[in-house]
Formats: sequence, structure tokens, C-alpha cells
Amino acid sequence: MAIWGDGAMADSKVEAQKLDETLTRRVADLARLELSEDEVRTFTSQLRDVIGYVEQLQEIDVSGVEPLTHPLEPGDSALREDRVEVFEMVLTSGADSLNEGYKVPQIL
Amino acid sequence: MDADKLETIRAIHDSFDKKQTSVVEVTRYFLDSIKKNGGKSGLNAFLTVCENRVLAKAEAADQILSAEGKVPRDRLPLFGIPLGIKDNLTMDGVRTTCGSKMLDNYVAPYTATCVQRLESAGALCLGKLNMDEFAMGGSNENSAYGPVQHPTQPERVPGGSSGGSAAAVRAGLCVAALGTDTGGSIRLPASYCGIVGLKPTYGRVSRYGLVAFASSLDQVGPMARTVEDAAILLDVMSGHDPRDSTSATVSKGAYREALGKAPETQAEWSGIRIGVPKEYFVGGLSAEVQKSIQSSLRWFESKGARVIPISLPHTEYAVAVYYLIAVSEASSNLARFDGIRYGVRPAEAENADDLAAFYRKVRGHFGPEVKRRIILGTFALSSGYSEAYYRRACQVRRLIKQDFVTAFEKVDFIAGPVSPTTAFKIGERISDPLQMYLNDIFTIPANLAGLPAISIPSGTEAPDSLPIGFHLIAPPFQEERLLSLAHAFEKRGAAR
Repeated sequence: MAIWGDGAMADSKVEAQKLDETLTRRVADLARLELSEDEVRTFTSQLRDVIGYVEQLQEIDVSGVEPLTHPLEPGDSALREDRVEVFEMVLTSGADSLNEGYKVPQIL
Repeated sequence: MDADKLETIRAIHDSFDKKQTSVVEVTRYFLDSIKKNGGKSGLNAFLTVCENRVLAKAEAADQILSAEGKVPRDRLPLFGIPLGIKDNLTMDGVRTTCGSKMLDNYVAPYTATCVQRLESAGALCLGKLNMDEFAMGGSNENSAYGPVQHPTQPERVPGGSSGGSAAAVRAGLCVAALGTDTGGSIRLPASYCGIVGLKPTYGRVSRYGLVAFASSLDQVGPMARTVEDAAILLDVMSGHDPRDSTSATVSKGAYREALGKAPETQAEWSGIRIGVPKEYFVGGLSAEVQKSIQSSLRWFESKGARVIPISLPHTEYAVAVYYLIAVSEASSNLARFDGIRYGVRPAEAENADDLAAFYRKVRGHFGPEVKRRIILGTFALSSGYSEAYYRRACQVRRLIKQDFVTAFEKVDFIAGPVSPTTAFKIGERISDPLQMYLNDIFTIPANLAGLPAISIPSGTEAPDSLPIGFHLIAPPFQEERLLSLAHAFEKRGAAR
């Protein structure tokens, strides 16, 4: 299942002020987060505050402004040569591994 | 052992040279201090102590000392210096929790470049320091391992997210420490605890081995008792790292050496222009903090520097921009904590019906602030909303950066407060995340624009003598000038 791009969120043009528990549950589901009922209630009200606060950005004229995703200027950094290196240690970061793979719970 | 001989790198090296103490003795002194005051029953600043690892290195250092007769400063500028490392930076074979239950059992298989450079310069890493979970927070109350106490006022917060680092340095549990700063996480706790905290230019220090929170904002930096010690640490750990594609290729400075070029004569001072943004002196700024900052500015004027009123017109939007960008990047970065590649795998997850249910069970173990931010970030990036939230935030980010570019055409530095208030009480603000976020208003802009910025102790607030920090911001890669000005300011008491 695609997390983005299936238009799931686009169907519901919910205004930020109307952020409700259904939307909190839906977003939490997209983020694969289990929330308790208490968390759903608290987060909904807190997120409503924060989204309400960031609404102020809508008042700025940003027409023609290129988004800045990164503070480095062109030429400040450089990519290294693309060489194959083997990092055996990577697997040890996971919860469980077997031979040369991650061990996951049986899903079929 | 005489504690004030152990406060700075210079003082410790002098004691080694004079054979007043050995590296093992100094290391044991700090390990004992941590045992007494650093753990759960004390400040709760240390999460992991690497006693055997550090003592083995200390013994090896003593052999060098007895063979060479004095500290090999040129080759090993951090020879025998006990440091603390924030627990979001990896050390080979050492537990790295990020203040999260999610990484409770994570033992890093490699060492972060910045830590490796410190160790190669002779530093002794005592252990790992408490922090807000995944560096998300400004009070250190969001750690899954309990809050860190303020080093002089136990009922107050030390600031965050590098709260363990600031408290440990101030309390003498280590000589200096590493912190990380995404929206003020070095400067805020440095200010609350009365120490020096430097956030270098974005790209100045490698992020390899730093567990990412918001990749376009995170930067590693030194926290120390003096500007000189911060400069020595930066000398060692800065510079390009091929393992981090965002680490800058811009050549590094000679930071400690630059302190000798601090302005002295009237003519040197008169060439320095310090901009004071009117937007940094607004409602919410406590009267005591404002008084301290203004008195610091008057000191600069009395030396001959020109203090110039300026405007950074988009400042009021910085918090909104930051909280959209930081949470968006976080929601993406934290996707790897899925119980497979990284993260604990709780028993209830093993029995999940499918992989999605498995992920939900595993990721339910994030703390509340992390969940809140992942949800906010997922929302800001989701189809139908990303134009209005994430993209617009990035556009305003450019306007904020442009404000600084324009300002730095007229001034050399920008000065102001680090935080609107001094250290607040534990629990006082935890139920109101938005209020907590607004506390970062003065530190966030430097992260959005990628600029170097420093917090230097400038005074205290009565009646509890709570420290106040003075904030200096410089143009990109101007750490030499920033540190030398901070050094001059730091010495003002001695000169009076």
C-alpha cells in the first residue's frame, strides 16, 4: 500500500481548525503509530493549537520564492567518489538478524 | 584533588606538566563525581558511563606522559581531557539510546566522526549524556530516562535538548561535552546552566554518527566552561568528512589561535558592528533578561564597538516555519525505527497479525513528544496538505535566510537574548507544547539560516542566581571571528 500519492488525504480538505480525532487517527495510521484513546484526545487538541499557530504563514506573500530545503550554498559541499564498500556492521543495528539478512516476524 | 585545577583544558594540562596529577587520577576523580552526582539519584545527567573503556585509555595516556615528560599539546590537543558525549552520537560498542526506549538496547557498531576526532586528539569519553528523546524538546523533560535536574536549582530544568551535557559541564562531571543543536538545543541549555555553548555553521562539523532528527537543521557543537575550551574542541572536530555529504568543504579555521586576535585597542573595537534586531526585544522577554542583554550591549559600546539597531522582519514566522520543517524531516528520519532495521521489538509485536500492525506496536513505544511530532510531520507532508504547510514553510525559510543576508551587509554580528526567560520549573510547561515551542524563538532563526551562533554567560537573575545567556550570531563559516568576540566578552569581568 502506498503511503503517499494515493490521494487518500486529498479527498478530505479539512481545515486545520477542524482537525478532529478521525484525522489524528488517520495520520497516526499513515505514520504506523499506535495511539491510546487518551493520546488521540490530547494530541488532537494540541495539534489543533499548533496547526492553528502555523496558519499565520498563509498571510505571507511567497509568490516567486523558491523553497529553501537546505542551508548550504552551492559549492559548500561535495559528494565523494562512488565506490562499493561493504559494511557488515549494519545488520547488528537491527533487533534481530540471521546470516546476511534482518529477521522479521512471519507475515504469511 | 583541587577541583578548580580541573575546570579547563589548560588547567588540567598544566597539572599534568607539573606532575601534580596523573591522567588516571583525573579520570577517577570525574568518574567518582559522576557516581556521586551524575546518576539517577543526582542530576540524572549520565545515562551510560564507560568506566573500563575510559580507564584503559587513561592508563595508556599516562604512559605517553611518562615517556614524553609533558603533555604533547601539538599532537594531542585534548590529551587526557575527560569529556561527556550527548547520547545521540554513536561510540563503537557503547549503548546509544537517544533518550528513547526505542533504542534502549541499541549498541552502536561504529563511532561518530566528531567523537572519533576528539578521541584521536587524546580526549577521554567518560560516557553518554541524557537528552530529550531524539533531541525533541527544550527542557530535557522528554527523556524516557527521566528529566535532568538543573545543576544549581534541582527543582528547575537545565534546558534541552542537550540538558545532560549542560548540567554535567556546569556541575563539574566532565570538562566539556558535545551537544547537538536543531533549534537551540546547545545554546538554550548552555544559557540556563551558565556555560558556553556553540552551534557551528551548518556543515562545519560532520553529522556522521549523529542520529538524525531534522537533517537540514541538526549540527553538532561544543559545550564548555570557557570560550577557549569550546574553540579547542571545534579545532579538533570540524572539517570535511567524506562520510557526510552535507559536511562542508569550506576550509576550517584556526579557532583557538583566533582568540589571540580578539579586539583590544579602540581602533580594533571601532571596526566591529553589532546588529540588534528590534524583533528580539518583544513581549514575553523577561525584564531581567532584557536588562542583562542591554547591559552587555552597553559594555560592547563602551569598548568602542558600534551597536546598530536592525530589523529581521520575518522573525515572527520562524517558530511556525521551524516546527513544520523540523517535524516533517523528523517524520521521515524516524521511519527507520520499525523494530527491524532499528528499535526494540516488544513481545506483543511478535504476535501482530501483519507487518503494518507489527510496526504500529513497535512504534507505539515512542514517547508522547516524539509521537506528537511524527503525527504533525506526517500531516504536513501528506498529499493535499504538503503545498500549504511543508512547501510554504520552506519558502518562508528562504525569506528568513534572506533577512540575515541583508542584515550582514550592514553589521558583522547579530546580538540578543538566547531565551525569553531563565530556567523554569520542572513540570511547569509540559502540558502546553505550543508554549514550549515559542521558547525557541531567538535560537531557531540561526538553524533555519544555517548560521554559527554562541551562548555566553552574561549575568544572573535574582533571587536564585539563575544564569542568563548572551547570544551572538555570525555569517556562515565565521566561527573564528565569533569565538574571538565571545572571548573578549568573556574576559570583561577580569579586565574591569
